Amino acid sequence: MADAVVIPQVQPVQPALRFLRIIPGVLLLAAIGFAGKLLEQNVGKYAKAHHWIFPNIEYVLWAILLGLVISNTIGVPEIFRAGVATYEFWLKAGIVLLGSRFLLGDILKLGGVSLVLVAIEITGAIAFMTFLGRVFHLKPKLTSLLAVGSAVCGVSAIIAAQGAIEADEEDSSFSIAAILALGALALFAFPLIGHTLHLGDRAYGIWAGLAVDNTAEATAAGALYSDAAGKLAVLVKSTRNAMIGFVVLAYAIYWASQGQAKTVRNKAAFLWQKFPKFVLGFLLISVLATYQFFNKEQVGALANLSRWAFLLTFAGVGLRTNFRDMRKQGLRPFAVGAIGEVVIAAFTLGLVVVAEKLFGI
Amino acid sequence: MADEVNAPQVKEPWRLSLDSWAVVIALLAALLVRTGVFKHIPW
Repeated sequence: MADAVVIPQVQPVQPALRFLRIIPGVLLLAAIGFAGKLLEQNVGKYAKAHHWIFPNIEYVLWAILLGLVISNTIGVPEIFRAGVATYEFWLKAGIVLLGSRFLLGDILKLGGVSLVLVAIEITGAIAFMTFLGRVFHLKPKLTSLLAVGSAVCGVSAIIAAQGAIEADEEDSSFSIAAILALGALALFAFPLIGHTLHLGDRAYGIWAGLAVDNTAEATAAGALYSDAAGKLAVLVKSTRNAMIGFVVLAYAIYWASQGQAKTVRNKAAFLWQKFPKFVLGFLLISVLATYQFFNKEQVGALANLSRWAFLLTFAGVGLRTNFRDMRKQGLRPFAVGAIGEVVIAAFTLGLVVVAEKLFGI
Repeated sequence: MADEVNAPQVKEPWRLSLDSWAVVIALLAALLVRTGVFKHIPW
């Protein structure tokens, strides 16, 4: 007789209980974000009153730094984890509300230019990461995940591609760790490079949206530079996100043709399933704002709501970045990711500078 | 000797994705601002 392993039926968690479980973490995100805002307002004043030379640090950086310190010293206690994981929800809600600050004409103009830049960036990034994966003898599916992660949109793209190409969990966690570690570095490196090169808000925002992989980090890297750069970084990053379905579908078809993944039968359903719905929400709010569904005060209120949502996101970015965990994931995928990111950042910077000269973006 | 796994078939309930929830909540917030329930959001 064969041994039978009976798996007990897992009781689904009640929605009310799920809601209660996220409250402590959401409160922690709000507390860190608000502390960042208070520090922005008061540290500068205090330094000035005492005649100290202290750089003006914005709430974005304070919130990320506070989160980083907690995550990498005492760690995030279990009770807060479910709520801290909601930072992606706040990010997407914030992006939808940010749509109120864009007129449809701007989106079509900038979106058109950024669509061309995004197409060049995705093609170049995938080709280069595939080449690097071969040079470093990484497993082909791990290379595919790193390429999707750096070309399109970081963690979401890797998770979407993992299921579609039937990659190992281990490959997926390697790629996610590499993309997150590099995103954390980009947060600090991009504004420094932007200021050193005296990039304008528009050029910098487009560059951050094109080159920083994860949406949360791209939003933060843009906001760290200026409000205008933050808006553009979100727009360009959302254009990149909209491509996720097409890129993952192409990889799924490739791996199915190699007999190493299931064939995608309904391609339209696949594309819809992978399409980031918040991009549609962003466009809808922008259309409503363009046709003056909201008055000036209401647009201001929606913009402030979006800022509050981003504040929680930035606290979450710091809290979920744990350098110890990232070190455990191994050096080779990280090295491939790092070399790839540096080259992609340089390539996209060149692309933006050329586009600025040619089209005056 | 092969192990058998007898897991009862559980039909996944239909759920909105995180993405869709974010859109729904943001649109609801926009509607509350539009209808004047929230008049001023400070920053």
